[in-house]
Order: sequence, then C-alpha cells, then structure tokens
Amino acid sequence: MAEHDEPREGALLLDDDDDGLEPTTDAGPPPDDGKADEAANALDEVLDLIDLDVDIDIREDNSEQVVLDLVGPDAGRAIGKKGQTLDALQFIVNKIVNRPPKSRRHVVVDCGDYRERHDRGLVTMAKRQAKKAVEQGKVVTLEPMSARDRRVIHLSLAKFEGVSTSSHGHGTGRRIQIIPARSRSRR
Amino acid sequence: MRELVAFLARSLVDEPDSVEVTVVEADRATIYELSVAPDDLGKVIGREGRTARAIRQLLVVGSADANKRPILDILE
Repeated sequence: MAEHDEPREGALLLDDDDDGLEPTTDAGPPPDDGKADEAANALDEVLDLIDLDVDIDIREDNSEQVVLDLVGPDAGRAIGKKGQTLDALQFIVNKIVNRPPKSRRHVVVDCGDYRERHDRGLVTMAKRQAKKAVEQGKVVTLEPMSARDRRVIHLSLAKFEGVSTSSHGHGTGRRIQIIPARSRSRR
Repeated sequence: MRELVAFLARSLVDEPDSVEVTVVEADRATIYELSVAPDDLGKVIGREGRTARAIRQLLVVGSADANKRPILDILE
C-alpha cells in the first residue's frame, strides 16, 4: 500500500502560476461516507475481472474528492491508448459509488503522474495553438475532447493575451475553437 | 468476461436480480447479451451512451488474450 507515502499534489492541479488552473488546497477533511474504500473495492473487483495486475493506493481522500492511484506491472495497460482505459475505469467507478440518492464525491483514478503529465501536455499544446491563432490571425479548431480536458484548456487560455476560446459541436464531437481577437480572415 | 459485464451491470442498476448476461460465440466475435429491468436500461447505457462505452472499453481490455472481438449487446 505505502509505496508513495510522501504527500503529493492532487492529479488535477498544476503548480504553474499562469496556467489558470486554480488550486484546490482548501479541501477539508473527508466526510464519513466510506467513499474511498467503496471506490477502491469496486475498482479492485473490476481490475481483477479484466486481469490487470495493479495495486490501488488511496492517494487523496478529502471533502472534494478521492484520488486512487494504480501501481504495478500492468500500469501501462490500465492507462491504455490516450488514457482510454483509465478514463473508462474512472467513469464506471464514479457511476457505481455516486449513484443517487447517495451523497456525491468525485473519484479520480490516476496512475502515477499520468493525469498531471496529461494536463501539462494539454496546456502546452493549447498555448502553442493560441500563439499560432494570434500569428496567423485565424481560428484554430482543436481535436474533440472530454469536458474535463476542454475545461483545462479554457482555463489555461483565459489569461492568454489576444485570444478567446469557445466550444462547438455535440457529445463526443465537441471541440474547442481558439479565436484570435483580430482575425485577418475577416478582412 | 461474462462476470465483468454482470458485475458492472449489477453495480449500476436498481434491480440487480434482473441482470442477465448471455454469451453467444460467433466466428470472429464473442457477443455478450445484457438484459436488465426496463427501468434500468438508461443506467447501463448512460447519457449519450457513455456508460455502455466505458463497459465496452473494459470488455476489450479484458479480452486482450482472446482471439475474438468482444461485442456488448444491450437488449431492449
């Protein structure tokens, strides 16, 4: 259980000053809802059924969220292509432990620093594309992304000079447009 | 993988006793036919099919060693 017992930041925060991602350090102690154990047990059962050899650490358990960390030889398979498997695990575990009428608490399923690295990658990509939008004076449309990933990008570009962002499309096809303040294409 | 589908479905619905999973072997695919109580259909499908998609993804991961493609069929 205790391979990573040094305190670390939650999966969803980055410590850059100007990335627009607000810290969630004001999270209080966890309510007595048993969510962390319930989520870890459900996840353990699923991982066992799909034959992945990983252990689960409860990395974070506070008023805001539970963060479960997967550690072991099958960590790579647990992440999957573009994090698809990790996202599926997280989605299904949330569905199981947050069923109405129970109280809700968000469960993050992470694997090492995967989510942090993923978020940093998104921010880097978004800034590069924003720069391109400004330089070329054209709207840049990004790939379709999850609501969470889009949120990371909206926040990271909120203070980026000379562009605004908005989302278009429906369901899994929803994508961000980075719009330069002065568009050359309209002249 | 039948157990995976059954476990997930039972964990998501209001009437776990009504969950049934039938496995049908086809030439190149293994089909998991999932049936739940009519009122529970939405719970295994999810908004815009997201729950069904997550179950399918886990089914694919768990079937990696099989030489057949898994198919999740939710019966109405």
